[in-house]
Amino acid sequence: MAETTATATLDPLEPRPLVAPHHDDASLNETLLDHVWRKPGKGWFMLFGMTLSALGLLVIGVTYTLARGIGVWGNNQPVGWAFDIINFVWWVGIGHAGTLISAILLLFQQKWRTSINRFAEAMTLFAVMCAGLFPLLHTGRPWFAFWLFPYPSTLGAWPQFRSPLVWDVFAISTYLTVSALFWFVGLIPDLAALRDSSKTKLQRTIYGLFALGWRGSGRHWHNYKIAYLLLAGLSTPLVVSVHTIVSFDFAVSLLPGWHATIFPPYFVAGAVFSGFAMVITLIIPARKYLGLRDVITDRHLENMNKVILATGLIVSYGYLMEHFIAWYSQNQYEFWTFYVNRATGPYAGVYWLMIACNVITPNIFWFRKCRTSIPIMWVASIAVNIGMWCERFIIIVTSLSQDFLPSSWDIYTPTWVDWSIYVGTLGLFGTLFLLFLKFVPAVAVSEVKELQLELKHAAHQHGTDDALAGAGTLTHGAH
Amino acid sequence: MQATVLESWVLAEFPTPDTLLDATRKMREKGFEGMDTYSPYPLHGGSEALGLPPSRVPFITLCAGLTGVITALAMQTWMNTVDYPLNVGGRPLLSLPAWVPITFELGVLFAAFGIFFGLLGLSRLPQPYHPVFESEAFRTASTHGYWLSVPQTTGTDATPVMDQLKALGATQVTLVTGEKE
Repeated sequence: MAETTATATLDPLEPRPLVAPHHDDASLNETLLDHVWRKPGKGWFMLFGMTLSALGLLVIGVTYTLARGIGVWGNNQPVGWAFDIINFVWWVGIGHAGTLISAILLLFQQKWRTSINRFAEAMTLFAVMCAGLFPLLHTGRPWFAFWLFPYPSTLGAWPQFRSPLVWDVFAISTYLTVSALFWFVGLIPDLAALRDSSKTKLQRTIYGLFALGWRGSGRHWHNYKIAYLLLAGLSTPLVVSVHTIVSFDFAVSLLPGWHATIFPPYFVAGAVFSGFAMVITLIIPARKYLGLRDVITDRHLENMNKVILATGLIVSYGYLMEHFIAWYSQNQYEFWTFYVNRATGPYAGVYWLMIACNVITPNIFWFRKCRTSIPIMWVASIAVNIGMWCERFIIIVTSLSQDFLPSSWDIYTPTWVDWSIYVGTLGLFGTLFLLFLKFVPAVAVSEVKELQLELKHAAHQHGTDDALAGAGTLTHGAH
Repeated sequence: MQATVLESWVLAEFPTPDTLLDATRKMREKGFEGMDTYSPYPLHGGSEALGLPPSRVPFITLCAGLTGVITALAMQTWMNTVDYPLNVGGRPLLSLPAWVPITFELGVLFAAFGIFFGLLGLSRLPQPYHPVFESEAFRTASTHGYWLSVPQTTGTDATPVMDQLKALGATQVTLVTGEKE
């Protein structure tokens, strides 16, 4: 695949191209759908084997939990929320970047979103599925999970709508549904393209079934355009509301370290921070393997690193404010939680790892060299994901294990079941993602073609090819 | 058994989006109705060239969203205030602020369903069969072709329409006939 090698010699102030300039509709179609028709290589099967084995761990962990009850987890009194909620919040947070990329950047008309939105939306879907497993298992008897929803039961009881936990049920299920609809609506034209470029009758039938008979009609596009825009408009406040509601699970309680008004914005920023890091982690190997470097260019990676830097700074501000308010309020419990328990207590190692990963690491992206170096950004993105996991661990476990009365304190240690379910969800996520990469175009093909035409028109108007690169300049204030 | 009703379309492929839109506009000015364009992505100015009225999707979305909001408010009020009043720490039975999150979520959920089913309904999808699929060349419409379809009464001579389309720059012109949906 031809790389955009010319970028190195370009004027550094000139934005890099969004789509390598040597493509037309037919060649884009061929390049972007190629990985669906191609037989997966050895690498794919190796990764698939790995994720399937991890998925096996999930099956074992969940089966054991269902057979024996959640007593097999490390949870105790007082740490009633542990790995289940840590991983739930972590996965939901990862999902948020997908919606942010597809919805918010669409509304801000950030053209660079086009090549990565499909990818990120798929990540959202799978991450939210993994997230949903944890509270479901944590109920102890997941076969009664429908009790969470208001339905006319013989018990004659209704959910308590003043509880953030019930809000959570509605927020997460709405989020999953809307993300799935958004993803599918965006996919319809590409499924039609797959149907029409398929080689066998079976492929044509299957993709044709999912394409719903889409024929690219102007009368359909007329409704489609506005429908897609409206879905984006709805998803934007939705994504903010979801993590806000997740943060309410904590903020509405009275525990030191949880009871803070900064939680909603700080959680949303943290979610975007970890989500973009996950996109970087996944997209670097994927674009190489799928041969997508013409449409997912170095410019996309650089822009994502800028978002990681910005949200990382917001998260750091959140930490700073928590510590400041703990001192300023002169509340002894708050003060003790932040300055003694978290910083020097039994989980201090996790705390300092969190600081290293979330506060220090993103600052390397002030430097252009780091923003554009693939190995550096890949390692940094993994560090951010570890850091955000540590953050949730610190918030949940330190506050619960040592709250007001020393007589009720206890230490939490996860068991092998906790670990295998966590690693298992990584396997579930990976498996779904690899299947996605195999069967569905990883890039929104129709949108890239549209973008390409737009860029060409812009180039014509300026009478120069530079505009091909220049159209779609990034606005930094977009977040 | 009902007799099969056939319908015919003249299909014309154009080399670029601009020539397609230009031809659409000119054909419409000549008085042709019920035409449709086909392209792999939405064309800028495509709706205007076809002379389509504003989409009804936003209105459907608004109605669906309001239905969600009203449903959520009514549900929470009835369940927690009327049917199963639960006094926790003396909090008011009608706690409207606490009902905001679910009201918002259900509003969004219903609106999203409204958009999705509104889009499918207005586009009459899923519709696996359409006479345009009778043409094998038409398969490029979803990948890199730009097509125009002009309805033609089945059994009449289509050559004048085909000639006009060719004069407007069409690279290939065919007549398809198929069962009416």
